[in-house]
Amino acid sequence: MIARRELLQTSLGAAVSAGMAAALSATMACQRASTRSVARSRAAVAILRAASYSEDLLDRLWRGAAACGLEARGLRVLVKPNLVEFVPGAVVQTDAAVLAAVVELFEKLGAAEIIIGEGPGHRRDTLFLAEEAGYRAAVPRFDARFVDLNRDDVAHVREFADTAGGIYLPRTALAADLVVSVARMKTHHWAGATLAMKNLFGVVPGALYGWPKNYLHQVGIGRSVVGLYRIFPRSFAIVDGIVGMEGNGPVQGRARPCGVLVMGRDLAAVDATCCRIMGIDPMQIEHLRLASSLGEIHDMKIEQRGEPVAQVRTRFELIPQFQYVRLG
Amino acid sequence: MPSTRFRHRRTAEARCRVDWSHVNSPHHHAPTLARNLRPNPQELGETPGRAASGSGRPTLAAAQNADGGWGYFPGKQSWLEPTVYALLALSDQSGGPAFARGWRLIRSWERRGGGWRGCAVANQAHWATSLVVTLHAAIGAYDAAFERGVAWLTASIGVEGRLLSRVANWLEPNIVEFDPALTGWPWQAGASSWIEPTAHALMALRSAAHASSSQLNNPHLSHPEAAHRIATGERMLLERRCRDGGWNYGNRRVLGADLPSYPETTAMALMALNGHAGVRWEAALNHVERMWRETRSPLARAWLGACLLQYRGERPEPAVACPRAGDDLVVAAVDAIRWDRILA
Repeated sequence: MIARRELLQTSLGAAVSAGMAAALSATMACQRASTRSVARSRAAVAILRAASYSEDLLDRLWRGAAACGLEARGLRVLVKPNLVEFVPGAVVQTDAAVLAAVVELFEKLGAAEIIIGEGPGHRRDTLFLAEEAGYRAAVPRFDARFVDLNRDDVAHVREFADTAGGIYLPRTALAADLVVSVARMKTHHWAGATLAMKNLFGVVPGALYGWPKNYLHQVGIGRSVVGLYRIFPRSFAIVDGIVGMEGNGPVQGRARPCGVLVMGRDLAAVDATCCRIMGIDPMQIEHLRLASSLGEIHDMKIEQRGEPVAQVRTRFELIPQFQYVRLG
Repeated sequence: MPSTRFRHRRTAEARCRVDWSHVNSPHHHAPTLARNLRPNPQELGETPGRAASGSGRPTLAAAQNADGGWGYFPGKQSWLEPTVYALLALSDQSGGPAFARGWRLIRSWERRGGGWRGCAVANQAHWATSLVVTLHAAIGAYDAAFERGVAWLTASIGVEGRLLSRVANWLEPNIVEFDPALTGWPWQAGASSWIEPTAHALMALRSAAHASSSQLNNPHLSHPEAAHRIATGERMLLERRCRDGGWNYGNRRVLGADLPSYPETTAMALMALNGHAGVRWEAALNHVERMWRETRSPLARAWLGACLLQYRGERPEPAVACPRAGDDLVVAAVDAIRWDRILA
């Protein structure tokens, strides 16, 4: 046990004090240990209607949090929006109103610290993208809360997607008690759909893996998504499906109003539910199929709360390469 | 029969006589172009360099870490990339203590397996090794470490050139429309080529080319593959140019849809193409100047300014204000580097 701790501390590097390394290694060990134990008891997924971003989103989120048994008192929470890129007039990123409401939700839930972190996939000027996306205007004290995960301090995680070298990840993300993936409901031209789990790509540091994080594609998108989910099992999903993206997502697709927020502690269950809302068979999405050992993707095992899927189903257009994922 | 020592020297000299004719061929007009496009600073009523110097130096001076390096933000872990940019910004003070501390750190980060590590924690070869080569050239450190950096850079290549990738591209050419034979540089070993690492590698190898032509008696300079990599990398950049005339982060067309260009990658690609005849430079630089005036991204503005500095020797006044850059040290450093001198 002592030898393992020493080994981990060595891998964290000379720049880290022994105390910090011990705390971080304990956090990471706890994350790993809890991977399998928590997954099975949390497959409640809440679907809340919200016709537009001007509605009372905090009220929706509060009801969804209660439905899913979300607790955050005293926790250090990392809120991770999807800001893979900003395109004026398009619906690429998590809407600023949703992000602001999520921050308010965790304040109301008594979180000890709320950090907003993102590592965009295509462009390097993260703060500029946040400005353009309206985040800095919408979220009080945004700059003080924000961490550019592409260029944060990093630590080594040995186990990642069966790769020999593991992966380096931002310390801010590894040290969080709860990672909240706040994704946009979108189709994806390589993965079929991008939701709460795929949104975890944004924690991978561009400073090492580049813009885009092409290394994850070389490892395999499905394997990488699941590998990251294993590292961050203490997570919560909130999917912005008020207006989603269909067609050639995740950047060049068209806006598709869907009018929902989808929430839950089991990211796989939330994503599988979103797929069913979008008219996609989750079993045909590689990373969801691979994640079935970590979470629930079968509808019979997901406890649906709020609106039934059938009441909010909205058929998202798919590019020809992904017609096979259409729900039958 | 020459002695072993003599034979070694002859071999080294022969190796130094690499055919760099491509780099100095009519395809490259950089010096002439730069002279023609760049106004004389005295004619502008300026002391030389005033228009070129950014305001980032005080920020950099205050943000150097105790280990001699710089993080992406003050107080954060030192990384290779911001440290090299900061040293490039300070390269005219290479005898000073701040530069010396940073230089010592950089030299200690060279990996036995080749290349430089990205930070103290991550012992894997990092794409910013190209910046290290450029830094060595900027201060005239044409030594064994410089040679190893060039060798690593010459061997680093995107995987799209592999047979399997080429077959996949041949079977479905419209997924990502590009010529896989034109390989550049990846962000990381085992990945595909992208615009930014390719641009930096080209700038670095060109600095090695100039070193080779001016340092014929230096036994550390031998890069027989470098000229070929420069030529192929330039073709790769030209082939991936977007329909709007600039560069995206990687490709020009995916799944039948044109991709938009970005200001920062456009600036870097043009800097790397260094006067190539395949570019209509006056129009390209006018486009860069428009982007410089209009962009609200501090990082994009820093790179666009660097490009204008390289080719025109000055930067105009921007028309719009940038949102607060925060304390981004890459922005401060790129803004403070005398690119017209570094890439001269």
